[in-house]
Amino acid sequence: MELLRPSSVEELDGGVPVHGGTEVVPLLREGLLAAETLVDVRGLVPRGTRDGVIGAGTTLAELEVDPSIPSALREACRLAASPQLRNMGSLGGNLLQATRCWYWRLGYPCRLHGGDRCHARDGEHREHAIFANGFCASAHPSDVAAALVALGARLRTNRRELAIEELYRLPDEDDRRTTTLEDGELILEVELPSVQASVYLKAMDRRRWSFPQVGVAAARVGSETRIALAGVAPIPWRIESAEDLDKVTPLPRTEWKVPLAQALVRRALAAVD
Amino acid sequence: MSEVRLTVNGGEHVIDVPVGASLAHVLREELGLTGTKIACNEGHCGACTVQIDGVPRLSCIMLAHTVEGEVTTIEGLREHPLVDAFVRADAVQCGFCTPGQVVSAAALVAANPEPTREEIRHAMAGNICRCGTYPKIEEAILSWQD
Ligand SMILES: Cc1cc2nc3c(=O)[nH]c(=O)nc-3n(C[C@H](O)[C@H](O)[C@H](O)COP(=O)(O)OP(=O)(O)OC[C@H]3O[C@@H](n4cnc5c(N)ncnc54)[C@H](O)[C@@H]3O)c2cc1C
Ligand code: SF4
Ligand code: FES
Ligand code: FES
Repeated sequence: MELLRPSSVEELDGGVPVHGGTEVVPLLREGLLAAETLVDVRGLVPRGTRDGVIGAGTTLAELEVDPSIPSALREACRLAASPQLRNMGSLGGNLLQATRCWYWRLGYPCRLHGGDRCHARDGEHREHAIFANGFCASAHPSDVAAALVALGARLRTNRRELAIEELYRLPDEDDRRTTTLEDGELILEVELPSVQASVYLKAMDRRRWSFPQVGVAAARVGSETRIALAGVAPIPWRIESAEDLDKVTPLPRTEWKVPLAQALVRRALAAVD
Repeated sequence: MSEVRLTVNGGEHVIDVPVGASLAHVLREELGLTGTKIACNEGHCGACTVQIDGVPRLSCIMLAHTVEGEVTTIEGLREHPLVDAFVRADAVQCGFCTPGQVVSAAALVAANPEPTREEIRHAMAGNICRCGTYPKIEEAILSWQD
């Protein structure tokens, strides 16, 4: 394996981007990611916040104390992972983290790995999804992504500008990827609209330092109230209103997430009212 | 093999290791600094915590070749008053998590010499202690200047 440190985006030529490495390094070690070339992108991706634009290289630790960003994002960062991980992990890397489904992490030949069955659906799935779980029942682990979806963030890459919701796609038979990021495409900046009020609430299996069982972000943006959830679908999941929680399709052992999501959505809406 | 230059506890080192080697591996196997522990080796437990320019990070999931800044390990904190405070508070059982705990705590008190209990719990949340010494660790940090 080699490590490149290009000094401009134009020099990029293949390889696996690595920023903080908190996700890349364990995946390489477990053999879940193969790379001949790693590309240290820290010199290419902006870091820091300016006028509502956040460099994708900003760490979660920097964002958790940034008074200039909406509270939903600050709180999602503060409640994510552990202090050491927040010191290392970048915003861009967080949005691209892989699922925590234990079958996937253990290398089972499941649908997300290109196989023909979802081991979680028939097996252990208490941490899994309650929405859009027909093909793959994994639950998206990013607190930060849910907050950004509720905030209506836009991303700038080296190739295009897109709404954060367009970064994600549900995996299907023809394409098992959960993001639309192309090879060689780097997330550079995250742009936020002006937001009147926002909140992020997170249920965990212990008081801190845990992935979301369910995370709920709500934001008042213009005349709209936007709601997005972590931990409930294979990708960050936007709902239009609390009533959308009637459309869930829980698995036998994920039913407990439904009342949890309902309660958090109710509280989040009250908080931004 | 590929060259890595590291400053660890004030000393300079130039080592040849394959790309992909973690900082924890290099510290323990190449430099003999075995105070830094590896338990989970995947970012969950905090046993491998070191400071880079004073900021706690997990050396088990940090590529040695990407380290920028000065590394401080538990060996570099031998004289820190927190070490005595941990002993006084009896904050050690098996001791496996302790180096990582002290490294995190030293960064905390450097930034905030008199942290509240809530601040301690937030800053120390990434260091898991399977023996459950948390209340004693909190006591050690609250009394480190005594
Ligand atoms: C044990 C553990 C617990 C965690 N708990 C939580 C949690 O509770 N909530 C939560 O939200 N997150 C959690 N995380 C995720 C953590 O926040 C992310 O791993 C971290 O933010 C990733 O950032 P990084 O810079 O280290 O990414 P890297 O590991 O460097 O990269 C991650 C992925 O993104 C790609 N990449 C990185 N930067 C860019 C870029 N700018 N453009 C394009 N591609 C890029 C890489 O190729 C890779 O695929 C946890 C992680 C771990 C390991
Ligand atoms: S939930 Fe998704 S990742 Fe997990 S076993 Fe099923 S297909 Fe694989
Ligand atoms: S050994 Fe590094 S976090 Fe557990
Ligand atoms: S003292 Fe044993 S793990 Fe903490």
